[in-house]
Amino acid sequence: MKHRKTALLFTMAMTFALAGCGQKAGQEQTTAATSAAEGEQQTQTAGEFSYPMQAGDALTYWCELQGTVSPNFSNLGETPFAKAWMQETGVTIEFMHPPTGQIKEQFSLILADGNLPDMMEYSWVKDYPGGPEKAIKDGVILPLNDVFEQYCPNITAYLKEHPEVDKMIKTDDGHYYVFPFIRGDEKLCNTIGLMLRQDWLEELNLEVPETIEEWHTVLTAFKNEKGVAAPYCPEWTRDDFKDNDPFAYAFNTCRGFYIDDNGQVKFGAIEENYKNYLELMKQWYEEGLIDPDMATLKFDQVSAKMTNGSAGASMGFAGSRMGAWITAAQGNEPDYMLVAAPYPTLEKGAKPEFGQMDNQYPGTASVAITSSCKDVERAARLLDYAYGEEGHMLFNFGVEGESYEMKEDYPTYTDWVMTNPDGWPVSQAMSAYIRGNYNGPFVQDLRYLEQYYTIDQQKETPDVWGNSNAKSHKMPPVTPTSEESKEYSTIMNEINTYRDEMVLKFIFGTESLDNFDTYVKNIENMGLQRALEIQSSALERYNAR
Amino acid sequence: MKELSLFDKVKKDWMRNKSLYIMVLPVLIFFILFHYKPMYGAIIAFKDYTPALGIAESPWVGLENFSRFFSSVYFGRLIRNTILLSVYSLIFGFPAPIILALLLNEVRSKKFKGLTQTVTYLPHFISMIVVTGMLVDFSMTSGLFNDIIELFGGERSPLLQNPDLYRTIYVASGIWQEAGWGSIIYLSALSGVDSQLYEAAQIDGAGKWKQLLNVTLPGIMPTIVIMFILKMGTLMNMGYEKTILLYNPATYETADIISSYIYRIGLLDQDWSYSTAIGLFNSVINFALLLITNKLARKCGETSLW
Repeated sequence: MKHRKTALLFTMAMTFALAGCGQKAGQEQTTAATSAAEGEQQTQTAGEFSYPMQAGDALTYWCELQGTVSPNFSNLGETPFAKAWMQETGVTIEFMHPPTGQIKEQFSLILADGNLPDMMEYSWVKDYPGGPEKAIKDGVILPLNDVFEQYCPNITAYLKEHPEVDKMIKTDDGHYYVFPFIRGDEKLCNTIGLMLRQDWLEELNLEVPETIEEWHTVLTAFKNEKGVAAPYCPEWTRDDFKDNDPFAYAFNTCRGFYIDDNGQVKFGAIEENYKNYLELMKQWYEEGLIDPDMATLKFDQVSAKMTNGSAGASMGFAGSRMGAWITAAQGNEPDYMLVAAPYPTLEKGAKPEFGQMDNQYPGTASVAITSSCKDVERAARLLDYAYGEEGHMLFNFGVEGESYEMKEDYPTYTDWVMTNPDGWPVSQAMSAYIRGNYNGPFVQDLRYLEQYYTIDQQKETPDVWGNSNAKSHKMPPVTPTSEESKEYSTIMNEINTYRDEMVLKFIFGTESLDNFDTYVKNIENMGLQRALEIQSSALERYNAR
Repeated sequence: MKELSLFDKVKKDWMRNKSLYIMVLPVLIFFILFHYKPMYGAIIAFKDYTPALGIAESPWVGLENFSRFFSSVYFGRLIRNTILLSVYSLIFGFPAPIILALLLNEVRSKKFKGLTQTVTYLPHFISMIVVTGMLVDFSMTSGLFNDIIELFGGERSPLLQNPDLYRTIYVASGIWQEAGWGSIIYLSALSGVDSQLYEAAQIDGAGKWKQLLNVTLPGIMPTIVIMFILKMGTLMNMGYEKTILLYNPATYETADIISSYIYRIGLLDQDWSYSTAIGLFNSVINFALLLITNKLARKCGETSLW
């Protein structure tokens, strides 16, 4: 009995061993096959490479699912855009999405776990603690210089043509680290600005306000004549809106870092100008010209107030706000119309010195190849596709014959996109076929915007909001060194928390503006000087690139 | 008789209670996997952790992360807010389910009792994000709370932007959400009180109030004490979810607590080591509180956890 058992065990062991051998042999064969294929492709690089690539393993791609995609598709891979991209390049992509609004948390968790997707779309320059150079040093992402050179003729050609963009997407050490999102025209960089009710202005016989004083008149009129509870209603909980507060810009300052006329880095929130701005805000808040709930307002509430007439002015984007609100409100109120107002000034007729302006490389939604990627060439060629002629058309206009047609050499969106039969808003219909209307690793085309903005008031926005010297005050995407950046973020964490808190208290009047000097002193004690030094030296290195 | 060795004892017990051991196994595995194994990761509090190097390889930095927290400008405020919010939650939140259970116990109409119970349980099942969403909306100048305030002659104001009101809103909404659910355990303890005792008390001439003081409360006292000790152990253990959904820079002064700070630093800024150090510090305080309460409970009465 016992012997038989042993014998059985032995045979089983043998079988497993044999099976193991067989598998190994098989594996060797496949590796041989792949290396042969690699060899073939190597020769292709030297000679003629052409899409689509040979079939191979699927690649994983981590990115946020945009709010204009998610209502109709639960995964980017289901969209006609992604299907076309995969078909054209021959690469199967498995898209992975973090839950909406939790991109930073999820990113952090994936990183801590160490098991990375092949490609990750993220704001590497802003939101990776320590910056891109640290991400490379940490072994999270690959430096792409060799990759660009070997496999990416399209982006290399683009960067050669556009040295100013080339400068932005490198680190100080000269490393490329992402396939960037690039705004292909400066007009695409002015995305945020003030807007207010045009129909009310006409009714009250008022002009579109240009100065702070005129704004005061208009808002007061809205309040008194139109009985509006909260004439100015910004989504104050959004960081990018607070960074670009038009009324702070009117005083030639802002809450963060900017470059002054002499090319020096300055921190706006401690300046005398900023105090003046706070005084104005406090006065407006007291007079009931600003929404009393400004610290808790989210997009939904702002949208509701702007469309139902309980607010008359707001700030934001020309598409997802201005356009959406006009379309939504005109259902009930056919006369409803919003108009863009320029960045305000103190003196009538002066050209605004400050304004909102994205860098051509805003830093967002740029794709890095991670150190876990097994087939770098495949990933690189997949991404490089977008920067070539065909890829550019796909990312900005979609599939010819389905989402656009060429009319006199101008790619024109089809009716399916512009007046969707299923009743999708233009932004959602576009998002099915393109990434041009939000972001991603490609060069954005102005011709998308020309068609996306359907209302005249929207079409004006790039010129109205773009009329300022914003470019000379905007911090370029600088990259502190990894040692500096930890120190920098520790300091700025404390300062930003304190500043945000105090700014609201000053505006609400719970803290007297007489204490502004104490507030400044406190910020200085938190190490502002050191943070400024770090920013300045990063800027110097950037300029020297 | 020969003294049994430990191994033999375990073996004998195993043979006798096999099924019990098997039943407890999943629980054991759960605790080992999710509560004990992760403790290893807590050592990154003493390291400068980077994922690329892993937990073991990251360099040691000693107590640097702790001293950074202790010297932070926000240290005092975070501790004060955490303690105040939890103490208020305890003082007002702990008796609430007991009182509710006592009241429900006196209700004679079965239908009414059932209805009340269901209505008070319900908030427990609403997700936190919905509850806070409602609170934020209700607290706005045009919200429900302000409608009520105005009805009673008060003036409308943005309630959640007022640091003085934050704690009240936080604690009161917590009671609203959990009192009904928390009363279940006391209701079951109440049903265990011997009805003969009530009869005896009635014969001795005790009214409802005297019965409550001398029969009901002593009857459920062991449950109350155990619940109290358990609650003390989690006193400083306040989740960040509700806080980050309710606060805004205007209320940081009273709202920012240790866990929301950890959330901002650790998850948003990916300073894992630092946030782990703060978390560890928090756990140590919790543990100390648990020990102290248990000791006190043992001194004052017979009931204690161990």
